[in-house]
Amino acid sequence: MTAAVKGVLLAAAVALIILIPQRAGEFRLSQFTYVAIYFIALLGLNILVGYNGQISLGHGAFMGIGAYAAMIFILGREGLTATGANPPGWLLEHGMRPIFAIPLAGLVTGVIGYLFGLPALRLAGVSLALATFAVAVSLPLIAKHYDSVTGGGGGVSLPLPTTPFGWDISTPHWLYYEAWATAGILFLVAWLLVRGRVGRAWRSIRDGEVAAVSSGVSSAAYKTLAFGVSSAFAGVAGALFVIQVSYINPDTFPLTLSILLLVSAVLGGLGSLLGGIFGALLLVFLPIYSQDPPVLHFSFSKQAPSVVFGVFLILMVLVAPGGVAGLLRQVVQPIKIGLARRGSRPSRLAKEE
Amino acid sequence: MRRKFWLLAAVASFVAVVSLQSASAMTRLEAATPGVTKGEIVLGGTFPLSGPVAGYAPIARGMEAYFKYINARKGKDGKRGVGGRSIVWKYYDDVYNPANAVQLANKLVLEDKVFAVVGTLGTENNQAIRPFLNQRKVPQLLVSTGASFWGLQYKQFPWTMGWQPDYISEGRAYGLWIAKNHPNAKIAVFFQNDDYGKDYVRGLKIGLGAKRSLIVSELSYEVTDTSYASQLARQKASGADTWVAITTAGTPTVRAFATAKALNWKPDTIVLNSVAATEAVMSAVVRSVGADFVNGTISTAYLKNPSSPKYANDATVKRYKTLLAQYGPDGADPNNAFFYYGFAKAYDMIKLLQASGKNPTRASLMAATTRMNWVNPYAIPGVKVKTSRSDRFPISQIKLIRFTSPSWTEFGSLIKGR
Repeated sequence: MTAAVKGVLLAAAVALIILIPQRAGEFRLSQFTYVAIYFIALLGLNILVGYNGQISLGHGAFMGIGAYAAMIFILGREGLTATGANPPGWLLEHGMRPIFAIPLAGLVTGVIGYLFGLPALRLAGVSLALATFAVAVSLPLIAKHYDSVTGGGGGVSLPLPTTPFGWDISTPHWLYYEAWATAGILFLVAWLLVRGRVGRAWRSIRDGEVAAVSSGVSSAAYKTLAFGVSSAFAGVAGALFVIQVSYINPDTFPLTLSILLLVSAVLGGLGSLLGGIFGALLLVFLPIYSQDPPVLHFSFSKQAPSVVFGVFLILMVLVAPGGVAGLLRQVVQPIKIGLARRGSRPSRLAKEE
Repeated sequence: MRRKFWLLAAVASFVAVVSLQSASAMTRLEAATPGVTKGEIVLGGTFPLSGPVAGYAPIARGMEAYFKYINARKGKDGKRGVGGRSIVWKYYDDVYNPANAVQLANKLVLEDKVFAVVGTLGTENNQAIRPFLNQRKVPQLLVSTGASFWGLQYKQFPWTMGWQPDYISEGRAYGLWIAKNHPNAKIAVFFQNDDYGKDYVRGLKIGLGAKRSLIVSELSYEVTDTSYASQLARQKASGADTWVAITTAGTPTVRAFATAKALNWKPDTIVLNSVAATEAVMSAVVRSVGADFVNGTISTAYLKNPSSPKYANDATVKRYKTLLAQYGPDGADPNNAFFYYGFAKAYDMIKLLQASGKNPTRASLMAATTRMNWVNPYAIPGVKVKTSRSDRFPISQIKLIRFTSPSWTEFGSLIKGR
């Protein structure tokens, strides 16, 4: 895609994001807040999978780590004690505003992801997928085991979100703008990373690790960096998620979330940062509306939401193997070629006039 | 490209600021009572319709069948539905994930505009949606969980209310029974290590009272444990002759019994909590360890057992079977106790709506929940549905039941849980 087409798409997306709150009701607004949250997670996943060629089946768990970190930052020792947990003394005494907990949660998750990236370095392909899968499997168990800080299986309720600093804006609107502003910033970060030296190194490792290493790219450093950045994104998404839901227990980040994230990253389009928006839209709207299709009133839908969901996924993969971003590319490509052709034959046009 | 990008970013942030200001000015007017119109009352709830605990899905479908029947029949006032308003029942699949339950509760309240959220399943899921519903003053009624705090925390969460006997009362009933009938028992308690299991153990100790010292072993398992052998070996070694097993329906129950049998430990008395003691689970247990091992096991019940020979000719059970065949999903098995549970719950919801005045409001519905006083024909004879301003436990009487393969039989008199 040319820069101009990309620019138009980006502008259209930004315009839509700004227009939605004017029209949408409160519930629709909350759904688009979730779109922003999943978009952030998919940005991170795309860096890892799409640009660096590593596979993660554990990103739902990294979201979970971010969410737990944010919950602990928001509640503090004081708040956790009030929920009946028995937090250790080294935790911060008082909680902090959610808005400050978000970057901190991202940082914590990023560090954990980076550390996980160290042993994961020795793995590739299917083995790496299995190792990350193990993270997704074990997170709920770990959360249940360390119930003194996580609230265990019974979970922890957070105070319902409010608009901070006395700003004159409704809470659902605040959450929406908070999520999308974060998504915007992280999109910029991802874009800057991907287009520069780091991104080139990541892509070179993806396309041919041996060639990359022999050209002087440190495979270890860049792979772990990709893991760290990617997890930090997931952690921020998890923090926003827990603020929006205002409840957390091990079941809120199930194995299926990790798998669905990878599926949506593929459906949105690997190697396309903006494609994540489409993946996120699918992730938010498909599960709800496959239960109760708004246009087609299937009578069987109540019995088999997962069937509707699955059929849609298969159709998507058949129609658009490169994801939504790939589909757009296919549509834009002929137009671009057409434009180029017209531009290259001014003489004929002149004759016809 | 770079210059274009910054230009775009500048435009975007400008528009964002403008829209922020206009957005805050937006307000919306709410209808008088959401979910109640001239012809309809909209109710909603979320249930695990798919996923590992989809076995509970028949609860929602049983409620659906009962509401369909109410909409079709003519009531005492000669009108269909509740005072001429038909019930619209919206229920969604939360896959037993609290985060999904929160999103769907948002959908029910903000998009579907339900009058009340009814029967939502799962302690954690209900806990997760409770702050939101109370903030919006939306009734959260007849929740499908027996945690004690639904009835205890009504001052903090005035829009929330439970339904079934709570786990503490049930545990207490076992304690009372053991103290009375086996005053020299040596008790081993084996429980699931979470709020649910601990509520039971708390109740058991309240019931035992001074006889609390009869407990010689108290061990737990995690939901994720794949073997109970070490715990049960220690319980066997403790010399206990009475085993109180507090598990969840399905694998944990079957595994606990199979492990005890494999260890050659046959306690003289076995008590199994009601959530685990469904007939489907018991038949799996019998297949695994044989009827001799499980016969004589004690549990509790508060609803009639639709598959028990005792109620084969009971008018309510017979009517339930007819109605389920007529209004339920195709091929619904009337012996599945969860359909029956759905009927029983829907019955009380209709009674509540009828008690909320000619034009029900959310406040009048909540007022009605504090003066429930009737007999639910689906419950065991003698069980009353009763609440007051200070008693928010609608059903609190239970009866002991004893297992003789393939089903349970009631014995003794009703026990007041609270």
